[in-house]
Amino acid sequence: MGRIAKGAATALLVAALAVVLVSTLDLDSGPPADLKNHLYYHGSEQTGSINLVSAIYLSYRAFDTLGETVIMLLSVVGAATVLGDRE
Amino acid sequence: MEGHLILVLFLLGIAGVLKKDNLVKKIIALNILNTSLIMLFVYLGSLSGDQVPILLSGVTSIVDPIPQALMLTDIVIGICVTALALVLVQKMYKSYKTLSLRRIEEVSKSEHD
Amino acid sequence: MRESEIVDMVSRKLTPYILLLGLYLISFGHLSPGGGFQGGAVLATGVIQLALARGVKETRDLFPLRRFNLVETAGFFLFLLIGTIGMFAGLSFLGNFLPIGTPGRIPSAGFIFFLNLVIGLKVGAGVSLICLYIMEEG
Repeated sequence: MGRIAKGAATALLVAALAVVLVSTLDLDSGPPADLKNHLYYHGSEQTGSINLVSAIYLSYRAFDTLGETVIMLLSVVGAATVLGDRE
Repeated sequence: MEGHLILVLFLLGIAGVLKKDNLVKKIIALNILNTSLIMLFVYLGSLSGDQVPILLSGVTSIVDPIPQALMLTDIVIGICVTALALVLVQKMYKSYKTLSLRRIEEVSKSEHD
Repeated sequence: MRESEIVDMVSRKLTPYILLLGLYLISFGHLSPGGGFQGGAVLATGVIQLALARGVKETRDLFPLRRFNLVETAGFFLFLLIGTIGMFAGLSFLGNFLPIGTPGRIPSAGFIFFLNLVIGLKVGAGVSLICLYIMEEG
């Protein structure tokens, strides 16, 4: 494909995506506040930590953190394998 | 208004991955794409309050802490994808001696014929 | 890739304080903003800026790559071990089995402190290992 055709196709795709995203996304209201209220009232006495973000990813959703450590391990193994033997 | 600016970053990331010729610039555009989605989730979570979600004394209306906790994993995924992509680009540079995708296509097409 | 004298000396003087800041961010993870991932990134920054200023060969003599590998795999198995101990104590897998004290002090959050330490060491070792692999020449 020539360069002009490739540039026009990219611009068409980006414009179509822009129209679809702006017309269907609602970017003025966040998620509903039920879960936030539950965490605000009971989060500190159920886990003991006053940092709510740490309480979420280490006590309520600790399984996702286990999966993330597997991702880290796989990325190090992949990088070391592709680069060859560096003793 | 801020949500639409984040969508502009997302579309710039997609256009960059498709149009750029240099391989390292493609990786930078991929990183911009990943970061714009992380920012979108944290922004939508921050609309319902205005204080940091750490329960010291005197904190009444906190921001939603759930999207922030889920996006921590996403940041690590961005690091791992960028690292693997950079390793592959380094191996390609060692064997083709150029970073331009068009020249690599020409060389590999003339090798095949 | 050895830089000038000023960059070399300043980075050598600055590295212990960066590593100390990383350990502080990890251990106060349940009381103030921070935690395992953030402190691990700061630990990796301390190692990488030493490699940028002084050369990869000297940094590999100071931090051998074999020990980074050991820390990373040991961290993964320690995470699984902490989860399984929770299963033996009567709760589910990864259940909180240490006592929960008064919120606001360090030994107060059950096993969140130990999980933060494990994750911080693992992320720090992993990111600096990736960067030390990529930055070699030849």
